[in-house]
Amino acid sequence: MATLEATDLPTESGSTGLPDFTSASYKDAYSRINAIVIEGEQEAHDNYMSIGTLLPDQADELTKLARMELKHMKGFTACANNLGVEADMAFAKEFFAPLHDNFKNALAAGKVPTCLLIQALLIEAFAISAYHIYIPVADPFARKITEGVVKDEYTHLNYGEVWLKANLESCREELEQANRDNLPLIRRMLDQVASDAAVLHMDKEDLIEDFLIAYQEALTEIGFSTREIARMAAAALVG
Amino acid sequence: MFGLIGHSSSFAQAQEKARDLGLEEMAEADLLSWCSAPPQLLETFEVTSKTGKTIQGTYIDSCFVPEMLSRFKTATRKVQNAMELAQKNGINVTALGGFTSIIFENYDLSKFQQIRNTTLEWERFTTGNTHTAWVICQQVETNAPALGIDLSKAKVAVVGATGDIGSAVCRWLAQKTQVGELLLVARQQQRLLDLQTSLGGGRILSLEEALPEADVVVWVASLPQTLTIDHSTLRKPCLMIDGGYPKNLDAKVAGDGVHVLKGGIVEFWQDIGWQMMEVAEMENPKRQLFACFAEAMLLEFEGIHTNFSWGRNNISLANMELIGNASLRHGFRAIALDSARSRSDNSGLELAAA
Repeated sequence: MATLEATDLPTESGSTGLPDFTSASYKDAYSRINAIVIEGEQEAHDNYMSIGTLLPDQADELTKLARMELKHMKGFTACANNLGVEADMAFAKEFFAPLHDNFKNALAAGKVPTCLLIQALLIEAFAISAYHIYIPVADPFARKITEGVVKDEYTHLNYGEVWLKANLESCREELEQANRDNLPLIRRMLDQVASDAAVLHMDKEDLIEDFLIAYQEALTEIGFSTREIARMAAAALVG
Repeated sequence: MFGLIGHSSSFAQAQEKARDLGLEEMAEADLLSWCSAPPQLLETFEVTSKTGKTIQGTYIDSCFVPEMLSRFKTATRKVQNAMELAQKNGINVTALGGFTSIIFENYDLSKFQQIRNTTLEWERFTTGNTHTAWVICQQVETNAPALGIDLSKAKVAVVGATGDIGSAVCRWLAQKTQVGELLLVARQQQRLLDLQTSLGGGRILSLEEALPEADVVVWVASLPQTLTIDHSTLRKPCLMIDGGYPKNLDAKVAGDGVHVLKGGIVEFWQDIGWQMMEVAEMENPKRQLFACFAEAMLLEFEGIHTNFSWGRNNISLANMELIGNASLRHGFRAIALDSARSRSDNSGLELAAA
């Protein structure tokens, strides 16, 4: 397309360097972000184990996934220790509570598709996008650990995709409803964490867009049409 | 499969389009929310060449709108994410439309090849600038005579002469036509001097000096909102080819002997079954499109799966001829002023690639 030099674009600016990992403000923000990550991995473990009770023939596979999450949790706990930070777990439990409740209700009702949408799609996409954005601004210790974790999380996203793809026709409506019920929660969670993430040089806009890209990719893989996906993702844009 | 990465021409238009697509939440969302909206693959369609060959295309909306231009990170993310989406969909060649290629070029995004777990393969993308430059040259060669301007005596000003398209237009006009004199206008003096040397001619002028002298003005720089042109100082007739983006010249100067033509726009020989060109505010959105988009189609028709137009000032005359010949063969032609169009239609004359 026609380009050119008289186009007045702003020059690059903003926080492109690494944050000061030793500052009090960094450690304060990190105590909550790190707690969210630890709690997220713990809940992921518990959720996969729970899903295994609904899908007994897949319980072994799910147990394997769950174990990986515990390993991640230990890695992230080490990251906090390395920085001399104590994770604010009370904050994190409250942070996950609405999503956790929805998962618990779906589990009690035996709704496998909803459980998988919450854990294997939403939470995994959330984690993958956040880790991708965190890696370039992480301290060297955490960076190495997070890079290892991202690779695992893709396999988890993939697990949910495969099951939902195979069962799409019988669970399409349930998934659309689960999307409506839970996607706005993710959006609110991202909003809630935005100011702490900014201290870690993670931009809220990046977080939301990257999350939606990962989520949309999963929906594509499952077999939703491009228009359906656009419609489903739009639910995340209104806070 | 070829791809087009485009965007709405304003935020209001983007909201309207979202409503049309049944995306009520997006239509209601504010600009800040749109800044986090991921790119969308909105439609796939077929295009059949005059030769009978049919290819598949896809349109990706980057969810960028010009109101985001002041936000460096947002603008770059939109472009990179749309490119990643195109590549992940296995599209052979994708054209960067509208502001997309401007952002890519000005922010030097070739430095950032890694997007999450995807390594962008540049050979899958084209700016489409070779075809755009060729089309603009055709528009000069066809429309100036239609207004009674004798190109062999005419002074042709190229505003944005040192840019990718501008320099290609200068080279073509200098070497392939008998233009009376080239007036070179751009902001950076050193680049202008280099261009003048490489062309072996052309006169370097400021915009204010060039406009009153020019019989033809090719604009390939986007115009600052604040630019004012004194109509009374312009030559009459004067042909202005508005090859910048966005195209906002018409309202500024058209009328009373000054003829403004949208530059770098082509018309296909038959309707294309797509909806998305409406967002580009084309007069005939089923047939008209940016020449840069058409380049992606041409490369797919021809099976040329390389980044045909890429980087700055790499456009060769040979490639302009190649893409120009393909353009005619597959049924595109540059849009023309009404007077030129009727002449061309009456004589059944086709534009020739030199």
